[in-house]
Amino acid sequence: MRYGFYPGCSYKSSAGYKESVEAVNRELGIDFDEIQDWNCCGATTIFSLNNEDALLMVGRIVAIANSLKLKEIVTVCNACYTTIRKAKNIFESLPETIEPVNKRLASEGLKLEQTIPVRHYLEILANDIAEDVWRVKRKRNLSSLRVAAYYGCQLTRPWADLDHPERPQILDRFFKQLGFSVVNHAAKTLCCGAAHSLHYSADCNTLISRIIRETSNQGADVIRTLCPMCQFNLDSSQAGIDVPSVPIPYFTQLAGLALGIEPDRLGIRKLLVPLKPVL
Amino acid sequence: MIDLGLQQEFYKNGSAKEIKKCIQCGTCSASCPLTERMDHSPRELFALIRDGEMAEVLESNTPWYCVSCYYCMTRCPKEIPVTDVMYTLKQKAVEMGTEPKDNKMPDIYRSFQSVVRRNGRMNEAMVMASCGLRYPSDTFLNIPLGLRLLKRRRLEFFPQKTKGRGTIR
Repeated sequence: MRYGFYPGCSYKSSAGYKESVEAVNRELGIDFDEIQDWNCCGATTIFSLNNEDALLMVGRIVAIANSLKLKEIVTVCNACYTTIRKAKNIFESLPETIEPVNKRLASEGLKLEQTIPVRHYLEILANDIAEDVWRVKRKRNLSSLRVAAYYGCQLTRPWADLDHPERPQILDRFFKQLGFSVVNHAAKTLCCGAAHSLHYSADCNTLISRIIRETSNQGADVIRTLCPMCQFNLDSSQAGIDVPSVPIPYFTQLAGLALGIEPDRLGIRKLLVPLKPVL
Repeated sequence: MIDLGLQQEFYKNGSAKEIKKCIQCGTCSASCPLTERMDHSPRELFALIRDGEMAEVLESNTPWYCVSCYYCMTRCPKEIPVTDVMYTLKQKAVEMGTEPKDNKMPDIYRSFQSVVRRNGRMNEAMVMASCGLRYPSDTFLNIPLGLRLLKRRRLEFFPQKTKGRGTIR
C-alpha cells in the first residue's frame, strides 16, 4: 500500500514517533511517498498572524502533492491534520483564495491544481489494514496492559470526518483489536494547552494534571497519544506536577509492541517517563 | 471607545459577521480551557464587538489565550465559528499593532514565524532560543527540560531546511 506522506516538523525530534511509524510500516508493507521539500504547515501560529501567509504554506504542500500526482496526504500530527484540512476547506469554499497562492507559487513552478483528501495515519492502521491482517501479524499478548486513549483536540474537531468531535471511539476499537485492555475515561478530548505550555506552564499544568489524574484514577497504566504536541506536553510536565507517573507512548509504539517489534526499535528510550517498567 | 466604522470593517473579515447570530448563552466561555486567564470571556468579547467597543476588543488578551482546541466551535448552538473569529481578531490586532502587552503569545508566534521563514520548517530548539531572548526567566525555568530532551536526543541543533523556503517567506 502506498500513501502520500507529510511528516511535519516535529516528526523527527519527537519521542520515537518516526522510529515506530517506520517500523510498523515495514512490518505491514506500507510505503510512504514523502511530499518532497515540504515546508511547515504553519500550525496555529501563522493563521494567528496572517491569513494569506497561512494559506500559502498549506498551498505549497498541496501543490507539491499535486505535482507528484499523490492521491491523498497522510499526516501523523493532529496540528498538521487540522491546519491542512482547515486550509483545504477554505480553498474549496472560497475558490478565489487559490489564485493569490498560485501567483506566489509560480516562482517555483508549482501550482495548486486541486485539493486532495487529508488523513491521519491512525486511519490507515485502524481502517485500511483489515482486521484479519492484524490477527495474523499480532505476535505479542499485551492484554495485561491497561491503556487509556488520548486524542487531544485537533484530530476530531472541527474539520475532521473520522469520528465524533467529543466522544471518539476509533482508538479504543483499534486497541481492543490489538489485544490491549482498554480503559474508559472522561479526558479523551480535553485540551493539553498546546503551544501555550512552555510560557504558561502553571495554567497548562492544571489542564495536564486533569488528564493524567482522570486516566490514572480509571486504572490506566499508559496513555497513548497520536500528536507530537500532546505527547510532549503530557510527557514533559509530569516531573513538575503532583500526579502519578504514567508513560505517554505513541499509539504506533504500542502497535509495534503488539506486532512483536523490539521495544528499542520503536524509539521508546526517547520517552521522558519510561515505558519499560510497565511492560 | 465606540468605533462603529471599525466594527463594520471588522465584520468584512473572514467569518467575523457570524457573531451577529450570538445569543449570549456562554457555551463558548464554559467550554474554554483558559477562560480564567482572559480579560473578557469569549461571550463577553462578542458582546463588546456588537457594542462597537473595538479599541477594547483589539487590545484584549482573550484571542491570544485561545489554544485552538475548537471546543467552543463544535459546541456553539448557533454554529458560530468561534475559534476562527479569534484568529481574525489576532490577525486584525497584528495588522493594527494593538496586541496586548500582558500576553507573551504574539512574541512567541513571531519567534516561530521567523524560524519558519528562515528555514522553511520549524525547529524546537531555535524557537525556544528565540523566545528565550525575549523571556529569559522562562528560559531559565525550561533549562532542566532542555537537558532532559538533549539526553534523549530530542533536540535538533541543525535545522531541517526547505529548499523552496524563499516562496513562503
